[in-house]
Amino acid sequence: MTAPEQLPLGIRLDAATTFENFYPADNRDLVRVLQEGTEPLLYLWGAAGTGKSHLLQAACHAAVQRGDSVMYLPLRGDESLTPAVLEGLDNADVVCIDDVDSIARQTQWEEELFHLFNRVRDQRGRLYVTAKVSPTALEIQLSDLASRLAWGLTFQLQTLTDAQKIAALQLRAQRRGLELSGEVAGYLLKQLPRDMHHLFAMLDRLDQASLQQQRRLTIPFVKNWIKTV
Amino acid sequence: MSTSLWDACVAQLERELSPQQFNTWIRPLHAVTDASELRLLAPNRFVKDKIIDRFLSRISEILLGISDHPPSLRIEIGTAKTPLAPRVRELAPSSGGPEPTVLKNSSLNPTYTFDTFVEGKSNQLARAASLQIAENPGRAYNPLFVYGGVGLGKTHLIHAIGHEIVRSKPTAKVVYLHSERFVADMVKALQHNTIDEFKRHYRSVDALLIDDIQFFAGKERSQEEFFHTFNALLEGQQQVILTCDRYPKEVDGLEDRLKSRFGWGLTVMIEPPELETRVAILKNKAQQASIDLPDDVAFFIGKRIRSNIRELEGALRRVIANAQFTGRPITMEFAKDALRDLLALQDKLVTIENIQKTVAEYYKIRVADILSKRRNRSLARPRQLAMSLCKELTNHSLPEIGDAFGGRDHTTVIHACRKIGELRDADLRMSEDYANLLRVLST
Repeated sequence: MTAPEQLPLGIRLDAATTFENFYPADNRDLVRVLQEGTEPLLYLWGAAGTGKSHLLQAACHAAVQRGDSVMYLPLRGDESLTPAVLEGLDNADVVCIDDVDSIARQTQWEEELFHLFNRVRDQRGRLYVTAKVSPTALEIQLSDLASRLAWGLTFQLQTLTDAQKIAALQLRAQRRGLELSGEVAGYLLKQLPRDMHHLFAMLDRLDQASLQQQRRLTIPFVKNWIKTV
Repeated sequence: MSTSLWDACVAQLERELSPQQFNTWIRPLHAVTDASELRLLAPNRFVKDKIIDRFLSRISEILLGISDHPPSLRIEIGTAKTPLAPRVRELAPSSGGPEPTVLKNSSLNPTYTFDTFVEGKSNQLARAASLQIAENPGRAYNPLFVYGGVGLGKTHLIHAIGHEIVRSKPTAKVVYLHSERFVADMVKALQHNTIDEFKRHYRSVDALLIDDIQFFAGKERSQEEFFHTFNALLEGQQQVILTCDRYPKEVDGLEDRLKSRFGWGLTVMIEPPELETRVAILKNKAQQASIDLPDDVAFFIGKRIRSNIRELEGALRRVIANAQFTGRPITMEFAKDALRDLLALQDKLVTIENIQKTVAEYYKIRVADILSKRRNRSLARPRQLAMSLCKELTNHSLPEIGDAFGGRDHTTVIHACRKIGELRDADLRMSEDYANLLRVLST
């Protein structure tokens, strides 16, 4: 199977990382808090594929609609990033830092993030961060930073149950005008790697395949398609 | 030419880029348009370089495509936001009213006053000294040096002094800042050749409050500048108040002459609050939020979270938020439920991720190997063992465990548990490995 890469689809907007495109599962309260956008400090944590990045980006989207300036910065996965990227970010009304756990134990990163935290607070800005683990389990060495991250409102995002995964896939499909029955969604869940990043990426590709071949998503169609990928 | 051209360009980029790329690099840019020029403001050099490197040519192309007379494009570091709030508390405009103006634009946090500061054995002395200084700034003790661990209320206390100084003398100029700000301002002043202005600014204050001076460590030029500022202020009987995470003499990388001067006035310590104070802090915070927090719940939280006040406040925030979401009153059961995750993790750090990490370390393989699809036995056994430990030590369901191991099916987890069970009976080494890991993880 090929890696789930980002494809240059012409229909990106349907996959836009907004609240409308997010299946809230057990996280309705969190979604509400993010939509309101008044909390000064939020810490979201949960395993990969629970929707942390989507929610942060949706919060940015909503903030822009309200006329706020935003900054979204994912710390994982871009080797070229240096702590210099944090400079001046406090000028944004809403600063979102994804994957803070990935800079744990890196002295300079920790220190610069600590300074950013203070500057955002001085400016009465809002800071939303995510990590894979809870604030107490975070391996941040700089205790000044660690205690500040534990200060705000903390939310844990739960891994979706199978039924919720099916519902999330169906929502994504529906937003793209694609009909995906519960039966077919359940079949995908059984046949494919089960993390949501992968499932969504596969759904995107399946959407293209169904468009190209002018076929609806039936089990025989999906079964054949899976063999080809 | 108007910003609508840039808006159209942004809309096009949003279609072309991944949401992550778009949100990270394009969204934070501010566009400023003049007659025939589009200036894009990036928050810092890093972002600016990234834009030039990765996106600028595409942006030009798009502009060329949607406009007959595309503006010339420039990218700079800057912000569209109104200039930073002045960090000096501005004097009241001459409205003649006796009331000092609201502390708008002030560098002092309006909620950090003596009224909201909860006194306890751990901070009694520091609070008493602070009150004296607030009443008689520049003369009682100079400097005041407050030290102690993180999240114990140092910042709150020195803000309270600042407020009190301003309350008794509304024209007083009180400046609070973090040591990093002092360094950054100085660097900027050196770059822009405005060091004299910098000096004048910091020497014109009635009270200078600098937080976390341990971050001066190793920054010699800043220490030099601060040394002179410090001397000037002391000479002028202007109050200097400093906080630090440790005793002045223990700060590595700080010049000796600064260390000794910091001890000229009064040095006071804030200790971690004892249980009664923690409970009082919780009650006080709840009251500020107009929330009824029963005593038993306050004691429960206070007993479980001991490290610092920030974590205490974080836990309380969680309980209050849950109460607001559900509309239910705060009871013991309710609080336990709301804090389940935070408290469980304080007790024991058994998460799937931690198990994977520990097992990987034990067998000297990488976590990525455990999550991978590779099936050779040197990886498959540790993987199965880790799955089996997850089943034993966490409350996660089989499908959740399967998910956490590179998206495997729950039947794979069942198989792993069974296999490890058999091996522990048959293979002495496996049985030892299992026992060792269990001990490491659960103590």
